[in-house]
Amino acid sequence: MAKPVLRKPKKKVCQFCKEKVSYVDYKDTTLLRKFISDRGKIRARRVTGNCVQHQRDVATAVKNAREVALLPYTSTAR
Amino acid sequence: MRAGYYAQPSCHGNAVAALSPKEVKTAMRAYEVMVILDPDLEERTVAPSLDTYLNVVRQDGGSVEKVDVWGRRRLAYEIDKNAEGIYAVIELQAEPATVKELDRQLGLNESVLRTKVIRPDAR
Repeated sequence: MAKPVLRKPKKKVCQFCKEKVSYVDYKDTTLLRKFISDRGKIRARRVTGNCVQHQRDVATAVKNAREVALLPYTSTAR
Repeated sequence: MRAGYYAQPSCHGNAVAALSPKEVKTAMRAYEVMVILDPDLEERTVAPSLDTYLNVVRQDGGSVEKVDVWGRRRLAYEIDKNAEGIYAVIELQAEPATVKELDRQLGLNESVLRTKVIRPDAR
């Protein structure tokens, strides 16, 4: 009998809520790079641990940054 | 919503005068305009040449808060076969129409690779 894996996820606290950030700046690429994968895709909320509102803000910021070529739309995996 | 309702001239009872475009006062808004310029330009000439465009804002009663030239920077992807670009960020207060005009004029210049207008306080 395989023992069912009981995983108790540790509740992550949204890092923007913790720092009380009200505006996620699209120009801050070093911050935004933490929220995209090395293929350039936006990381999911269950990975980043952001709250709904801040995940949305991050997503818009990443999309804005892509439009001005600060972040890539795609980048080939190395 | 409500303004639109009242602006409708009514055929029942007392008619309500529609607002003429002049009477509608447009608010000043804070904008942030990011401009990517051709990397072949001299970086020193960027700020003065941007300033000539910003006269549109000043003439229309807006104010330019800050012009920040980041300088040459690698683009995340090629734009018009350019791997680099000169970034500049302009913060300004103006009416929507003024910014639209500024954006149009910047777009006409061939040494401007890309512009992006952002309203940071829009929620």
